Parts: sequence; C-alpha cells; structure tokens
Amino acid sequence: MEEPPRDIFRLSHDWLSVQEVVDSVSSSRCGAVSVFIGATREDQAEGRKVIGLQYEAYEAMVQSELSRLAGALRARWPSLLHVCIHHRLGWVKVGEASVVMAISSPHRQDGQAIQHAVTQLKASAPIWKKEVYDTHQSSWKENSECSWSQGEELLTDP
Amino acid sequence: MNIRWGRSEFAQVTVLYFARSAELTGLREEQLVAVPTPISSGDLWALLLRKQPRLVALQGRVVLAVRRQYVAIGNQQLHLQDGDEVAVVPPLSGG
Repeated sequence: MEEPPRDIFRLSHDWLSVQEVVDSVSSSRCGAVSVFIGATREDQAEGRKVIGLQYEAYEAMVQSELSRLAGALRARWPSLLHVCIHHRLGWVKVGEASVVMAISSPHRQDGQAIQHAVTQLKASAPIWKKEVYDTHQSSWKENSECSWSQGEELLTDP
Repeated sequence: MNIRWGRSEFAQVTVLYFARSAELTGLREEQLVAVPTPISSGDLWALLLRKQPRLVALQGRVVLAVRRQYVAIGNQQLHLQDGDEVAVVPPLSGG
C-alpha cells in the first residue's frame, strides 16, 4: 500500500535527536536517507568568544514557510518520500545541533535535495539567532541567503 | 464643482516584533488602530516608524510579513483587514 509523503516540522526548546529525525523519514520504500546537521562553531573573533546562542521564531509562519519549502523540493525532486526538519528555539550551547534535517528517497540520486533545503531554510524561515559573547555583548546574525540581509554585524552592548 | 467623497477604510492590525525589532521597541506585539487600507508597504512602514521611531535602525534591512507572507518595503499595495498580523522581520538567521 502506498504511503503518502510526510512533512514533519518541529521547533524544540530541547536538544535535538538525530535518530528521531531519521526515524521520522524511514520507510521500507526508501533506499536512501540524507541527513544534515547544523551546529554552531565556537567562533573567536576580535577578542570575544561565543558562549551561547539564543534562537527565536515566528512560529506560525515557520510552519507555512517550511511547508512551502517542502512543496518546492517535491516539485523539483518528485521521487522524494518524507521530509523532516527539527530546529532549536531558546538557549543553545555552542557545539549543539541547531537544526537537523532528514529526507528519504528510493534512490541516492536525490541527494542534492537536502542542500537545497538548507539553503531555502536559511533564505526564508522566520527564525533568528543571536550570538552571546563572554564580553556580555550580543549580536543578531544575518544569513547571506536572506535577500534583505546587509551582511554587516551589529554589535549590541549590554 | 464636483467633489467626490470616497469611503475610507481603516483596519486594526496586530504588529508583531521579532529579534532586533523586539529589542528596539521593547515589545513583542502591539495593536495598530485606524490603519488606512489599502496602503502601500512603504506607507505602512512609515506608520510603524512614527509609532516606534527606534525601528529606524532597521531601515534598509527589514521586510514585513502580512498574513504570514513576506512583503518588501515599497510600492506593494496591501489590503488589510481587522485582526491581520503584520510582523516586522529583520534579516533571517535560521539554520
């Protein structure tokens, strides 16, 4: 019996489980699962160290944007089975995964879909990340993929 | 002399602030009453700036989201209805 394609999106205040995301897309029909894990690097720049990140989101619009993203993926890669994206909210320690994405497909030829999904998420999901430094300053990051980003850093003092 | 009186429409919308815009205004949301409709996205941004002048720090690096659709600040005509959500959207940094 044909199982319908699933799109599973979750915003979580807890650490993300890669296994859970992979299990969400697994199926007897799928011969390949692509996984992307985005984590924060411990950046040291200009004498300050990132001690953590703060994520917030326009939650209702994340759902509609990710649904649109999944629709575009399926239009371009029609054989995709299931898509699962989990993203962190709230305080995230440096090194922890901020996003885990998995896409299942009958064959590995659809392996580029996940890179496209990452790019699209960075361009259009209404989610924001603030880096917090050991100097007590903080800085809202801007994705270069976002068409209204300027690319300059705005450093805010406490 | 022929004067034509058009019926002006106004809407009350909920403005949502995120990330840097929430820090600049000190608010997560507020009501905006008597917003003329239709209105251009540029004029709506000007209205928001009058209400929250500190938002000017985002000039040139912000869009709006009206009924959960991104709208660039400019000539786009918006048909607002009571209860519509208008979000102030600084540059994204998901992923």
